[in-house]
Amino acid sequence: MISATNHGTRANRVAEMRMAAARSGPRLLLPLLALMLLFAPASVAQQTARAKAIGQKLLCMCSCKQGLIACNHVGCTTSRAMLKEIDERVARGDSDDLILQSFVQEYGPTVLAEPPAKGFNWMAWVIPILAPLLALYIVWEMVRRWRRRAGLAPAGGPSVPAELLDRARHESQQESDE
Amino acid sequence: MDIFGSFALLLALVAAVYALVAGIAGILSRRVLLTKSARHAGMAVFGLVTLAVATLEYFFFTDNFSLAYVSSHSNRSLPLFYKFAALWAGQEGSLLFWSWLLSIYGFWALFLNRKRHPELMPWFGVIVAGVQTFFLLLNNFVTNPFHILASADAAGVFHVARVADGNGLNPLLQYPEMVIHPPMLYLGYTGFTIPFAFALAALLGRYPGEKWIHVTRRWTMLTWCFQSVGILLGAHWAYAVLGWGGYWAWDPVENASLLPWITGTAFLHSVMMQEKRGMMKVWNVWLVFVTFLLCILGTFLTRSGVVSSVHAFAESSIGGWFVAFLGLSFLVCLVAWWKNHDYLRSDHELDSLVSRESSFLFNNLVLLAACFAVLWGTLFPVLSEWVTGSKISVGPPFFNRINVPIALFLLLLTGAGPLLAWRRTSLDALRRNFAWPLAGGVAAGVAVFTLGYREFYPLVCLILSVFVVLTIAAEFYRGARVIAQHDGTNLLSAIGELTMRNTRRYGGYIVHFGMVLVFIGIAGSAFNQDVQKEMPPGQSLSIGPYTIVSQDFDNMETPVYQSERATLEVFRNGRSEMMLYPERRFFIASQQPESRVALESSPLRDLYVVFAGRSPDNNQPIIHAYLNPLVKWIWLGGIVVVLGTGLAMLPSRRAVLALRAAAERAPAGEGFAPARVPVVGGASRADSHD
Repeated sequence: MISATNHGTRANRVAEMRMAAARSGPRLLLPLLALMLLFAPASVAQQTARAKAIGQKLLCMCSCKQGLIACNHVGCTTSRAMLKEIDERVARGDSDDLILQSFVQEYGPTVLAEPPAKGFNWMAWVIPILAPLLALYIVWEMVRRWRRRAGLAPAGGPSVPAELLDRARHESQQESDE
Repeated sequence: MDIFGSFALLLALVAAVYALVAGIAGILSRRVLLTKSARHAGMAVFGLVTLAVATLEYFFFTDNFSLAYVSSHSNRSLPLFYKFAALWAGQEGSLLFWSWLLSIYGFWALFLNRKRHPELMPWFGVIVAGVQTFFLLLNNFVTNPFHILASADAAGVFHVARVADGNGLNPLLQYPEMVIHPPMLYLGYTGFTIPFAFALAALLGRYPGEKWIHVTRRWTMLTWCFQSVGILLGAHWAYAVLGWGGYWAWDPVENASLLPWITGTAFLHSVMMQEKRGMMKVWNVWLVFVTFLLCILGTFLTRSGVVSSVHAFAESSIGGWFVAFLGLSFLVCLVAWWKNHDYLRSDHELDSLVSRESSFLFNNLVLLAACFAVLWGTLFPVLSEWVTGSKISVGPPFFNRINVPIALFLLLLTGAGPLLAWRRTSLDALRRNFAWPLAGGVAAGVAVFTLGYREFYPLVCLILSVFVVLTIAAEFYRGARVIAQHDGTNLLSAIGELTMRNTRRYGGYIVHFGMVLVFIGIAGSAFNQDVQKEMPPGQSLSIGPYTIVSQDFDNMETPVYQSERATLEVFRNGRSEMMLYPERRFFIASQQPESRVALESSPLRDLYVVFAGRSPDNNQPIIHAYLNPLVKWIWLGGIVVVLGTGLAMLPSRRAVLALRAAAERAPAGEGFAPARVPVVGGASRADSHD
């Protein structure tokens, strides 16, 4: 099932390249730099589902503002260190809250992916729920009034003559269907 | 040559200002010639901005790095394809591109309507000229892309700097979709200026009835379609290029593009209430105003640096200009509405809560709730810092928690709304129309639940999706059956006939179907899996039904980048299925690394593999594999949405027949008469236009 590899051949190739680079001096400085960056450290794998769940509640602090798990910066050392810390704390048996709290102490509240539901930040959660409810109440009241008024008197028309309005509607209907 | 571009831009500004001032003077003094000259000046802006754009592109194509903008965003080895796209790679060029698209829209609208709506078009021209003037002011005095690179000699004399090669294009933008995504999104952003200008013009000119809605119907749909495609292409680009396994991160810039799309969607629905029943006039006018203002707000968020984002342009002083323009635009809208609100009184009022009107009302309410939640979450960090003095973050978990229930409610309305009749729906009709789709949805939910998929939101999403699809299918079936019986054709051709008789209504259903596919695709993300592992050659990892075996790692070099590529063999049930080649590139000119994802996509699941780099401890390569179910449905849904919108923009065959009949009878002096078409269940109202 597992195919043969040419690991050794590749290692030889890299060694040859490095020797050639040394011979060529500054001319190959750029490619070497490139290779170094290509080999830049990657983020370390998450060990447990719990560590992953905690990681999803945090943002990477490398200034990318992406989720800690989602940070895709090539060679991002910040996310690597943060993920490693979560792994270690989970392995140590720390509670989720304790782990999150320690990150807040280290990086400030911006490390949390959601605003904490306390103080003024409580508004972040309450307003998006209250606003539609308020709008729903307004619409409900509006409909109730309309219906009550519709029972009492015919609805008022626009302040343009009916004939002009009808002609405009007929013309525009035709134009929009053309 | 740079002077040529700068001069064209300056002339364009002069023409736009003339169109604005002469347009207002022409309307107030009722001088037709003045109005006409203002229109011509408005149209000339297009030619002048085109000259400026062509000049900048000429600099890119000839590798003339004397311009700071070209030097920053291109280099000699950049493929021609990307040299063209480098126009919108930075702040200055993208704002010029914005101006250009706006001038195209403006020119096209003024040209098409040059002999129509004589009371409406002068106001329209003035408003477009006003918006164009703002962007040309930025192009000329704040973000001019024609700044030359110069250096002073010993005598203090400035000379044009000779730059051998440019910095190159950001590697993340060197992807074919990035050539299409920004223009699509910008066509959406700028396009909303057209319905906005028509709405404001109708209000200022007290133009009778719903004419502005009929005039702008196709403009709005086209713009909405561009915005939809732009958003989906952006999501696909993020998925295929950024290498984090997802397509939407609720980043402020992503949110900024979503906001006008949501209000635009609400507008496309609520205009039907005005067209059919003469209701919601104030609402519609404000919806289109808000959509335009959100486009400007989105641009402000992207370009001012007020909110931090991975996509944003470099922080700049441009924010103040946008705030001023936003405030001025809002003020103009407010005053126009205040002075003319009596003209917007409704013809009718709501008869019943169980009616098509109320479903549109709730649809609008839910869409606006979603828009508000996204806006609130995007701006809350700024508000919180202003009030409390400390910074906080509002990330994806917040947006998902708030928006997922709202989106599901919207999905319910997508299915329920079209089943309700205008004015009032009887209980019998409700039972008849809802019973089977609802039963189908619940049956699908039970089936999936027994299979072990028990996540709450995906389950609800599936039930509602099946419900919506069945309601759409029932609508097509009911209408087509009547036509098939009447014409003696088969059901399939009857469906085609039905669709072409009322393209707007059935095109709309197809758009709804596309949105259902998008919803199903998004629901699939609840079942995403990922595994990350050090994978030297010979090592393997397992994810879902796949085993990935590391084969080799190669280095490659091109004039543009150097790369290291992994060769991975993917096995399924012991059989070799495919080879994947995830890659990490290092772009020489910009000195930036980037990863290229290896993606094997199928309707059921995507196998998404990233070469994540090398371990800092032992220099071993790390492979990150994701198994993302149903993602392809999102892109398929996008294609269906585009096809549905295209269909909805076509003229209905019934209308064409009616117009032809009217034209044939006109010489005989019979006047207009409706064409003889059978009345079908799906389109039972002869005057139905939705």
